[in-house]
Amino acid sequence: MNVVTRKLIAKELHVNRWFVAIGSVAGVVSVLLSALNGTGFNVGALTWLTTIIAMGVMLAIYGIMNERKEHTLEFIMSLPLSISDYVLAKMIGLALCFFATWIISVAAALVLVFAKDSVPDGIAPYLVLLSVFMLANFGVVLCGMMHARTEAWSSATVIVTNMGVSIFMFTVGPMEGIREFMWGPAPVWNSAFWTVLGCELTVLLIAFILPFVFAARRRDFL
Amino acid sequence: MEPKHIEMHAVRKSYRFFTLDDLSLELAPGEVMGFVGPNGAGKSTTLRLAMGLIAPDAGEIRVLGQPMPTAQAAAKREVGYVSADMHLLPNATLGWHMDFVKSIYPTWDDAYATTLVKRFNLRKEQNARSLSLGERIKAVLLLTLARRPRLLILDEPTTGLDPVARHEVISEFMDVLHDDSRSILFSSHNTVDVERISDRITFIDRGRLVESSNKEDFLDRWRRIQLQLPDGIELPALPNIVSRSQDGRFVTLVTDQFSEGFAALLGSHVREVQRMNLEEIFVANVMRHREVRGS
Repeated sequence: MNVVTRKLIAKELHVNRWFVAIGSVAGVVSVLLSALNGTGFNVGALTWLTTIIAMGVMLAIYGIMNERKEHTLEFIMSLPLSISDYVLAKMIGLALCFFATWIISVAAALVLVFAKDSVPDGIAPYLVLLSVFMLANFGVVLCGMMHARTEAWSSATVIVTNMGVSIFMFTVGPMEGIREFMWGPAPVWNSAFWTVLGCELTVLLIAFILPFVFAARRRDFL
Repeated sequence: MEPKHIEMHAVRKSYRFFTLDDLSLELAPGEVMGFVGPNGAGKSTTLRLAMGLIAPDAGEIRVLGQPMPTAQAAAKREVGYVSADMHLLPNATLGWHMDFVKSIYPTWDDAYATTLVKRFNLRKEQNARSLSLGERIKAVLLLTLARRPRLLILDEPTTGLDPVARHEVISEFMDVLHDDSRSILFSSHNTVDVERISDRITFIDRGRLVESSNKEDFLDRWRRIQLQLPDGIELPALPNIVSRSQDGRFVTLVTDQFSEGFAALLGSHVREVQRMNLEEIFVANVMRHREVRGS
């Protein structure tokens, strides 16, 4: 990795520092809210989910789509870097920003699950799957934005990936091997868990590889 | 021998409704080329091709000896690119941008950057989002000039600027030219700016290069000649006439190959021979080009 790429990654971290800080605080606060019983739990869980999804979408919109729309990309591309350097810097920079919020929010949620008696520990595998799904979802958003040339395609990427979260909850939640252990007293890391996790990590990997195969080899970048 | 700063040979770039075709041009070290064309002529496309931001469908491009766009990262170390559309990062200050660019370019000149901040009346604490159009262009120029590039590629950098800001910006380009090894490719449809700083002019229209020559050569060759013909006398067919209009006995000719011999050919009918400015030459040249191409 060359100096310019490293500087661009540092630029992403600098530009998005408040975003990451606010997202991380929101993630932790929503977990604290979930510690309350009843409505507090539901509101907290929803806020937690929304925070992570919104964080991914906003990072991709501000980091990629707006850079193109507001002609900041011309300034960046005037620097001594190739298109593949730019793609590498964007993917790593934005992924680090998202990962910071994601890991803090997920860790806080797992602490809540294991620390609070009223929340069954059995939900931990589902929580991990949901969290990794949102990580993969972010990878897909990033990949989509990196390839989208118009606002319409960028918006379509956001809509489809947002729908993906609901689809995940409707399909993985009731899945055999997940559903029956979800409310149990101890987490069960069975084959169903590992299969879903494997699928999610595969999607994540593909989403991070595709931009280097296609976007980085684009002949026209503006 | 130092390579040409820009070499384009038979370059073609096609879009759905526009094609830049068979473009060849060269920019020597120390040269300032004004790249003039109407809106949509292909100026920005050409400059983006030179920067490696887009790739040609055919032809060859070399910038500072480097093949583009494949070696764009290496070439751009010594190229400064400014476009009227270019924006800085909206949430970062000018000072942050200066530090950022400085950290990338070892050639960054701190003293010159400070001078430019003062000269352009900018403030380092200013957020890029709060910059006016003129300030934004001056800020981008500052970031470009302070890294002391060997080649400046400027895409309509004075568009939208007020006369004072334009004067400041053009003066800065002229300062750059004190160093003979640096060159500028400067696109504009403002021929006054181009005429001030360029020593070579290239006209482009509808994706085709119309003509490229030294500025002085253009200004020396092109003339508007006004004639008054006696009754019953017809003007003979003359060579190198770009345009001709007649109002009764009064005829106006425009030629791109004026010489004393040419004036002698017209004899005593000549009432006035006028020098043409670059804008008039540009318009006449483009109109002739369109006529020849039948469009």
